[in-house]
Amino acid sequence: MKRYFRELSVAAALALLLLVLALVAPSFFSPQPLLSRLTAQTPSLVVAVGMALVIICRQIDISVGSQFGVCAVVAGLLAAAGLPLPVVLFTSIGSGMVMGALNGWLVAGLGLPSIVVTLATMVTWQEALRLFQQGKFVNLPPGTQWFGLRQLGGQTALICAALVLLALAAWAMKNLAAGRFIYAVGTDAEAARLAGINPRRTTLGAFTLLGALTGLAAVMNVVQSPQVQPTCGAGLELKVIAACVVGGVAVNGGRGNLWGVFAGLLLLAMINPALTSLHVEAHWEKAIQGLVILLAVVADGLRTRRSRR
Amino acid sequence: MKRSTFLTSLLAFALVTACDKKSDSSSAGNSSDGKKLTIALLPKSKGNQYFATVEKGARAAAAELGVELIYDGPTNTDPAKQNEIVEGWVNYGVNVIAAACENREGISGALKAAQEKGIKIVTYDSDTTPDARSFFVNQATAQGIGETLMDTAAKLCGEEGEFAIITATLTAANMTEWRKNIEARLAAKYPKMKLVTTKPCDDQKDKAQAEATNILNAYPNLKCIMAICSPAVPGAAEAVKQAGKAGVVKVLGLGLPSENRQYVKDGVTQAVILWKVEDLGYLTIQAAVAAAKGTLKTGDKTFTSGKLGAMEIQDTDIILGKPFVFTKENIDQFQF
Repeated sequence: MKRYFRELSVAAALALLLLVLALVAPSFFSPQPLLSRLTAQTPSLVVAVGMALVIICRQIDISVGSQFGVCAVVAGLLAAAGLPLPVVLFTSIGSGMVMGALNGWLVAGLGLPSIVVTLATMVTWQEALRLFQQGKFVNLPPGTQWFGLRQLGGQTALICAALVLLALAAWAMKNLAAGRFIYAVGTDAEAARLAGINPRRTTLGAFTLLGALTGLAAVMNVVQSPQVQPTCGAGLELKVIAACVVGGVAVNGGRGNLWGVFAGLLLLAMINPALTSLHVEAHWEKAIQGLVILLAVVADGLRTRRSRR
Repeated sequence: MKRSTFLTSLLAFALVTACDKKSDSSSAGNSSDGKKLTIALLPKSKGNQYFATVEKGARAAAAELGVELIYDGPTNTDPAKQNEIVEGWVNYGVNVIAAACENREGISGALKAAQEKGIKIVTYDSDTTPDARSFFVNQATAQGIGETLMDTAAKLCGEEGEFAIITATLTAANMTEWRKNIEARLAAKYPKMKLVTTKPCDDQKDKAQAEATNILNAYPNLKCIMAICSPAVPGAAEAVKQAGKAGVVKVLGLGLPSENRQYVKDGVTQAVILWKVEDLGYLTIQAAVAAAKGTLKTGDKTFTSGKLGAMEIQDTDIILGKPFVFTKENIDQFQF
């Protein structure tokens, strides 16, 4: 209980928010908007899972938004060219893996700081995409949206896929050696090395996996509407890093739980619709989101100070 | 990286000047003989559909008037590259430069230098500082945009009921100006309509969709969503479609026909508003030629431009007129 205090307090905050809504604006829970909203969050959840691994590994990747945009345009163009969905899916995941592995190689192989490396790749991918696509939307052929299923079927499929992936990743982090390696490297890379873990390979793996998940998430975004906006990844890195931090992933590595990240993402994602449902002016939205993130960071800071004593 | 771009531009500059030497005598001869005028048309970026459509209109006007048209610009929006191209044209010896300025102040120096060499400057789409050009071909005034949006929304709603606005950001200068005009028109003409909320979408289609979903949920009596930045129009339409409210809640906005075609055809989006981009190119070349020939002078109140007829001039702005409303009936005629 005490061990998961952070995660539980985020879940409690989310529950409180939902309770207020249930009392004041019960229409918030009508099935259609709720389903549309949750579906819209599935790509962010998938990227947040990968981001959590990278942060637990004591690294950061701020290029995921750009990677997401590149993968979405690649997926969109292939789909528009009439290629079947599995090809689109695997090419997008592959593109993400390549971009993630490049980050991983620069960080783990050359020992460069991840914030600088991914800042550089963020700008590079983003500008290359802008040059290539000139901001033009990619119009998708009919039958791409919702994998050709009905809207309800497509939404259910996306939500189930994201939840299964989250559960698998959470299980793997706890029970597989690779998961334990990530925690070990994030806590103390030198100690991990002495224990026989290869910190470089672990870091490379975390970045590559984040890239692959970003590629998957891009397809999950593309199938939600009949067109792809090339700048669709803008700001995604902030959103998923915020979800990790709010969800209790320690920014200096070694600690974090994927279910906490899930709760953090939901909490942040529900603030906007909640404020609209409560008829609060739009000016407040970003300030309140910032406040939630600040609270989480302060809570982390207090905890580290206490544990040091 | 920086060094190589510098070297490339130096090389490009050397090439341009080398070419000039050869063409110098002939082009100078042309203009002094009063034969063919050379008009240079500068877009913000070359590969963009919007400016490709401007070029199409410009070519039509150039053919009609029998002038030479050069069309060149940065491949990507790049204010520094615009300056380089203008300097190249000055050396080449064109008669008029018509520019869509990426950076209002940034390009004014290069344009003034061109003016000093006797080249006429006209701007279109986005202006520079007034002292760096003779005329600005203004595609739409804030008042024109605001009034057309509000009038169209009122028509779609039967002049009564609730509506919401989705904008890019709550602070963007042009959109704040449009919103002021929308609200002024609302207060003056449509007492039975009510603006319930204004939400920002950060120029993101997905965020616009999320905001529209929230609005539809929070305001069940809503009759119309007005999207005043272009990614918000398909975003709002997708939200209305997913909510199963196509046709019940109307969608309109400022945007490109190509980004909204399917939603318009499916009856989700009722109206997409924009100026006729081709006409903007046509009018720009008409004005450029008239300015070079001296038939268009500062102080004129109207300007007669070929097939478009008489255009109003406010100060030194030539006004293209009220924006155009694309609907199910006419959207297929427009490819941009």
